[in-house]
Amino acid sequence: MRHHKNVWMMLIVLSIVAILFYLFFWMLTTPYDLFPSDPERADRMLSAIKSILSRKSSQVMAMIISAILISSTSLIFQTLTNNRILTPSLIGFDAIFVLVQTVIVFFFTSSSIVYVNPYINFLVAATLMIVLSLLMYRLILRKNRNHIIFLLLVGMVLSTLSRSLATFLQTVMDPEEFQSLLIRTEVSIANMNTTIIWLSLPLMVLIVILIVKNFRSYDVMSLGESQAIGLGVDYAKKLNWGLIYIALAMSISTAMIGPISFLGLIAVNAAREILKTYKHFPLFIASSLIAIIFIVLGQGIIVETGYLTTVTVLISMIGGAYMIYLVLKENKT
Amino acid sequence: MIEIKNIYQAYGDFKVLDNVSLTLQEHKITALIGANGAGKSTLLGVLSRLLSPSEGDILVDGTPIHQMKSKEIAKKIAILKQTHQLHIRITVRDLVSFGRFPHSQGRLTKTDQEKIDEVLEYMSIQDLENRYLDELSGGQRQRAYIAMILAQDTKYIFLDEPLNNLDMRYAVEMMTILQKMVKELNKTIVVVMHDINFAAAFADHIIAMKDGKIIVEGSTDDMMDKKILDHIFDHDFCIAGVNGRKVCIYYNNQEHMKIEEIKGEILS
Repeated sequence: MRHHKNVWMMLIVLSIVAILFYLFFWMLTTPYDLFPSDPERADRMLSAIKSILSRKSSQVMAMIISAILISSTSLIFQTLTNNRILTPSLIGFDAIFVLVQTVIVFFFTSSSIVYVNPYINFLVAATLMIVLSLLMYRLILRKNRNHIIFLLLVGMVLSTLSRSLATFLQTVMDPEEFQSLLIRTEVSIANMNTTIIWLSLPLMVLIVILIVKNFRSYDVMSLGESQAIGLGVDYAKKLNWGLIYIALAMSISTAMIGPISFLGLIAVNAAREILKTYKHFPLFIASSLIAIIFIVLGQGIIVETGYLTTVTVLISMIGGAYMIYLVLKENKT
Repeated sequence: MIEIKNIYQAYGDFKVLDNVSLTLQEHKITALIGANGAGKSTLLGVLSRLLSPSEGDILVDGTPIHQMKSKEIAKKIAILKQTHQLHIRITVRDLVSFGRFPHSQGRLTKTDQEKIDEVLEYMSIQDLENRYLDELSGGQRQRAYIAMILAQDTKYIFLDEPLNNLDMRYAVEMMTILQKMVKELNKTIVVVMHDINFAAAFADHIIAMKDGKIIVEGSTDDMMDKKILDHIFDHDFCIAGVNGRKVCIYYNNQEHMKIEEIKGEILS
């Protein structure tokens, strides 16, 4: 019981930090200049973050939606595949999304309604993603669940293969088609695509509600497949629906802010380290907050350093190092 | 009552279960024995709906198991598999709480909490309830898992090699607890085992499997027979009597006997 209290204490602390964090920037965006005599560097950093948060609300919303989706689906992906290292993007989901977009342009041309209308485009791409992710689970993930190194390798191959295939299709494409394809594929936090925000917001709410409703079952599922079935969880059903949520969430976040490989890994594992619990609900809240903080802070650093690199690279750098640490730790036990 | 009729299960061309029919004996410990790969674990998996058979019916109180909801089955049958590799850090109490999932769907009521206290006490691990599973010894961890199964409050309990990785003292303790559960709580327990002597000492009924078939079943006393055991395991056993109980000696071939004799001479 005492342990549970600790979890909630930590959650409250994290929430307060997040609220303070937000209030702080909200104050910065008010006309009063609170830090007139600060050193220039800190000032520039703060105004960079300020500029991110004071961007169009649709962009802030897109960031928050994506952060929540990435962290929550990484969390349940780890439960469904019974490991702590893989995340949907590490197994290649976001690279596949880029490939799917390229294939759509390649076969339907960029002037077709499947590409021009952002909603229809998203629905077609998301459906393809769901089919592909279910296939991927059947063919690869289920059989090799315990071989994390092998799965990481598969993920790397799948990402590279999808990227190369996309590049190949793009090279043989008509240059004008290629230009219009870039709108959908060259998306990043600096260059967000918020056209589908009114589709993704309700979808996110729906996905989050469905996932939260299943948290108690997911808790049991972290005991492993046979134990979960023994305790009366309809494992196959929960698994298939879980994969559908994941594919949808990855489609939404990749469509809006582009691929961010290691964000889910960092957010979920940091939440686990901090809260030291297996319960999905507190982990979900903590990892979402961490993901939001990471994106915003990361973008702040990028703007401050004068766009020398991108947030994706920064997060990949930290996340990659963290993953090596996790793999080594996992191998030891 | 659980009965299975004409069960077949195959991986590719290899028949793991070949026309198996069985009616479980109620309120007894049944030991499922047989050589490695004889199909014991598969049979247990099929009995507990972890695996669905290629052919045949499993009837729980007359209802085919595939027509029942997983949640309902979980109130009647509890299963513990041999490997529990956990990727999460969890306390004993939290683990045992999972046993209440079929009844409460994760929202623990006061009745659930009382039941959890009760089983923790029954397995005498109440002072370990806030410890993490990875801090416990193998014997304590196994008791925590049995406590979870007990919290599930089912009539049938299926255990896949529960004595694995336990030393002799803990293994005896575990089997004694299972006997107590049959006697006091009216459970029906099926255990997959490798050690014949443990089966002989603690089981009421033994089912022997070979090549995916049930070849013999009977009371423990009838089954502890040289001819039967030799046939089950394709091995040369020696049955001896110790304290009015039958004990089986596995290392019965000539060379070992000689070594024993030599050692005996030296000792005397």
